[in-house]
Amino acid sequence: MKTRNTIATALFIGLALAGATRAETLSYADAVTRLAQDCGGDIKKLCHGLNLGNGRVADCLQKNAAKISPVCVGSITTVLTSISQREQAQAAYANVCKHDVAQLCSSVKGDGYRLACLIKAEKRVGKPCNQAITDAGWR
Amino acid sequence: MTRLRNLLLTLLLAASSAPDFAAAQEVSQQRIVSGLGKLVEAAPLIDIAILRQEAIEGGGVAMASLPNWGKIAKLPQMVVEIDFENDSVMIKPESYRTLGLLADALHHPNLWAYKFLIVGHSSSTGSDKHNLELSERRAVAITEILSTTFAVAPERLYAIGVGEYFPIDGSKGDSASNRRVQLVNLGVFTTP
Repeated sequence: MKTRNTIATALFIGLALAGATRAETLSYADAVTRLAQDCGGDIKKLCHGLNLGNGRVADCLQKNAAKISPVCVGSITTVLTSISQREQAQAAYANVCKHDVAQLCSSVKGDGYRLACLIKAEKRVGKPCNQAITDAGWR
Repeated sequence: MTRLRNLLLTLLLAASSAPDFAAAQEVSQQRIVSGLGKLVEAAPLIDIAILRQEAIEGGGVAMASLPNWGKIAKLPQMVVEIDFENDSVMIKPESYRTLGLLADALHHPNLWAYKFLIVGHSSSTGSDKHNLELSERRAVAITEILSTTFAVAPERLYAIGVGEYFPIDGSKGDSASNRRVQLVNLGVFTTP
């Protein structure tokens, strides 16, 4: 009984971790849409006159953490994590996909056309490169 | 008097002749990327100060009829809208999504080599001078958001305000379509 529980727990944790690392990255558009939906009221009320630029809205929400809605608090974390995951994927793309480009799309010139070539050759592209393209939001 | 409520964001980016004003509201990342990626020839050299002067002096005529703005008008372009608070540079949270879509498009490999000019417009309500300043501050606010919150390299972005000097033909000066910001593809970005 005890063993089964442990296995179940281990499985659950394993799944949860896999879920966390494989969670889809959000586009900037979807991320800030979520921010607007969950925090729009708080922003208008507590951060009136401030813009997103230079972290002003984020700083203001943080400063007013005690006053903002719990939904907004949760949303800020999700949005920031997702944006940084996507930025990492975009930054890593060139390196991760270097070999795939060399093997499958070496005759193609231009970053945009190369990406299109990799997307078309999805079945022959390696898993890390495919994942990088997906996480970068370019598929 | 200065009841400038909304401002629109226009993306001027591909070699199409007329800005896509009609379908300004709903844009997708894909549409922005394909619209902006169609630069077929080298973009002309652009001097922001000259453009500003030309707008002030040539005020009220069609953009395409001025020597330097005429070059801008030929570049790839499309239109999106951004809502600002009254007489303010604050963008309403309802328009965050549009900013995000622009950012996603500028981070796409099809567009990441290009630099862009963001042009602020305003309604004709209020004084010329005030409208010119407000439209410029709004254009600057957009470039700041794109380059900080959305990590677009600031060297790729230029801002200019032209106030009420380029109304859209056949529409009233205070109509929503005359409170715009445009984003123009200025061609391939090369490090100096």
